[in-house]
Amino acid sequence: MKKGNLAGWKDVFSFTLVQTMKSKAFLISYIILITLSLISMPLVNKLFSNGNEDVNAPSPIKKVYVYNNTSLQNIDYSKLLTEENMSHIVFETAEEKYDALSKKVDEEERDSVILTITENESTFSLNFLKARKGPVKESHIQALGDALAKQFQVLRINTLGITDEQNAMLNAKIATSVSAADVNGEVILKEDTSISMAEYWFIYGILFFVLMANMLSSTQIATSIITEKSTRVVEYLLITVKPLALMVGKVIAMLFATLLQMVSMVIALFVSNQVISGKGSGGLEQFLPKDIFQNLNIINIIFCFILIMLGMIFYATLAGLAGATVSRMEELNEGLTLFTFTNLIGLYIGLGASSTLVGAGINPFVTFAFLFPLSSPFILPGAILIGKATLPLACIAIVLELIFIILLFRFVAKVYETLILHNGNKIKVKELIHLSKTV
Amino acid sequence: MSLSVNNLSKSYGDKVVLENLSFEIKEPGVYALLGTNGAGKTTTLRIILGMLAKNNGEVLWKGKTLDPVSTNVGYLAEERGLYPKYSLLDQLLYFAKLRNVPKQTAMDRIKYWSDRLAVNEYVFPPKVKGRKVSKSNRADQLSKGNQQKIQLMAALLSDPELLILDEPLSGLDPVNTDLFKSIIREEISKNKFLIMSSHQMPTIEEFCSDITILNRGKAVLQGNLNEIKKSYGRVNLFVKSDVDIAPYISSFGLTIAGKTPSEYHLKVKDENQAMEFLTKLIGDQIPIVKFELREPSLHEIFIEKVGDAHEER
Repeated sequence: MKKGNLAGWKDVFSFTLVQTMKSKAFLISYIILITLSLISMPLVNKLFSNGNEDVNAPSPIKKVYVYNNTSLQNIDYSKLLTEENMSHIVFETAEEKYDALSKKVDEEERDSVILTITENESTFSLNFLKARKGPVKESHIQALGDALAKQFQVLRINTLGITDEQNAMLNAKIATSVSAADVNGEVILKEDTSISMAEYWFIYGILFFVLMANMLSSTQIATSIITEKSTRVVEYLLITVKPLALMVGKVIAMLFATLLQMVSMVIALFVSNQVISGKGSGGLEQFLPKDIFQNLNIINIIFCFILIMLGMIFYATLAGLAGATVSRMEELNEGLTLFTFTNLIGLYIGLGASSTLVGAGINPFVTFAFLFPLSSPFILPGAILIGKATLPLACIAIVLELIFIILLFRFVAKVYETLILHNGNKIKVKELIHLSKTV
Repeated sequence: MSLSVNNLSKSYGDKVVLENLSFEIKEPGVYALLGTNGAGKTTTLRIILGMLAKNNGEVLWKGKTLDPVSTNVGYLAEERGLYPKYSLLDQLLYFAKLRNVPKQTAMDRIKYWSDRLAVNEYVFPPKVKGRKVSKSNRADQLSKGNQQKIQLMAALLSDPELLILDEPLSGLDPVNTDLFKSIIREEISKNKFLIMSSHQMPTIEEFCSDITILNRGKAVLQGNLNEIKKSYGRVNLFVKSDVDIAPYISSFGLTIAGKTPSEYHLKVKDENQAMEFLTKLIGDQIPIVKFELREPSLHEIFIEKVGDAHEER
């Protein structure tokens, strides 16, 4: 690849970038992405809270009248509610008749509820009654019921004379483990490298973010190249710029445009999250792994950025090559087969590795996925941020990705000049390889 | 100062598309590349422009290898190409920038050529009320002829020393054909070097002094057009008369190359035979309306050189 082959790429870059950002398709998708990001947090919050009030807010229930129709008597209700937002609730054994009390709750004491505890052969039932109108909603009753049910088991065991310590021992989990011994007979300690479901979803989120960025930029690059080929504009351009410079200018411009979209999306998501958190509702934090921010430092972010960018450059170059193999816009999907297939291989290896991390932790397959240039841009950024991939490993992955990109560029440099002027049927992979050997 | 093409060869695998092509343009003017479809004209032009890699040979400009990036070359491609959705002005400025034309100079030239080619309303569309840019400034909104004008403008924006025109007049109406011809004449008058590829023989005869006829990648005829014609001699006789002259034609043993209701196109051996034929007609008091003896046209030479070979395919 001679330096002269890249002369003029900056002009291609600036023109492509400006025209892309002026295009309706870009502007519309940009507005949609930003809008979705802005409304995402309130929407998710609403969906996950099932349309109810904030669960952390103090409960509007002031008093609970209790009818205890079970064999468990002398219950200390004050010990039942450990939740801070329910600590103010007063329990009182009901003396009045049920009908009179329910009328009183419905008409006068609307911030009180009636609890009837019954006992069948194998079931204890907690039955609540609330005013038809008033501050107490279904969700508050649900929260109170959940809190009481959680402690009711302990209460029953205590009533039978079993202490908390004895109860804890009875309920202790039984775990099995197999240890290997080294040549000296010493036990080799194995660190548990498996990840939680929250960490899995975090990796999954990053993986799809990378996939989306890849697809967006790569499709745009392929479309742009086919447009220039099918409209024959490329003949004008090739007088002044070499084919490789054309592609490099395009790839970088499209990556820049996509990056702008993605960064704007992240900023909008952050703003959305801040607004939600500011209102006291749980934002993104409730879905993220608790210790995620321990790994969120500038070095890790730079490594993740480099990995994602290298991945995008690799896939974008592949899309550019795929785009140049066809001559008509109708053949775009056919042309992108190679790109889509390669992208899916990387994606599925990444997905497989993240699932493996949940079950078995880091094993040879996961390490392979971390290092393999097709999958590393998908899986490794997330793994770095949850602390499951070391920086030396990330360095090796970056070097491997760079080698892959250089090899791809050398191949592209060989065949692109012929491809860009090719007008006819789609060039197959076999023909591409043959072309690279003959040029 | 000249353009010299020496032993240019190009093949795709086993298929040879250009074989040892050589020609030279010593003086400013128009050089014609002729040939049937697929003869290798566009391949030659693409190699000269550095778009295609050659297998063998060299292209020299002023004695040095031609570098299309550093040399000021203009190109009007056979298959017209513009970005369909981008504004015309943006594209023209982009093409100018790629040729290292300063923005202000480019703007001035775009204005000049827009006026000259009568496409001002598309390149600088009037602002439509309520909308910043009118849609009419996009290539996909233009007629084929207007798109061709924009492309000629793109080729001329850098005021090129060497201008390559591949089928410049194809698809143009008579008014625009004249407009394009006047611009080509103007470029010739500026002492520029032009290479023109065309199937329109009258246009070639009108502009070109030297030609190369290609057939299947090989040059089958090259040289100065007038000298080529002279070498064929004046063997075409056009006779128009009010009476039937068929008996005279057969008695002289002349070949009829073509016939219209009132005119014969005859082939004569030489000028003497034509003179004898004229003397006989005058002697017999045959009323003659037209008697024209001339060299073969480029069209006839072209057909003679590549016609049979083309039909063999």
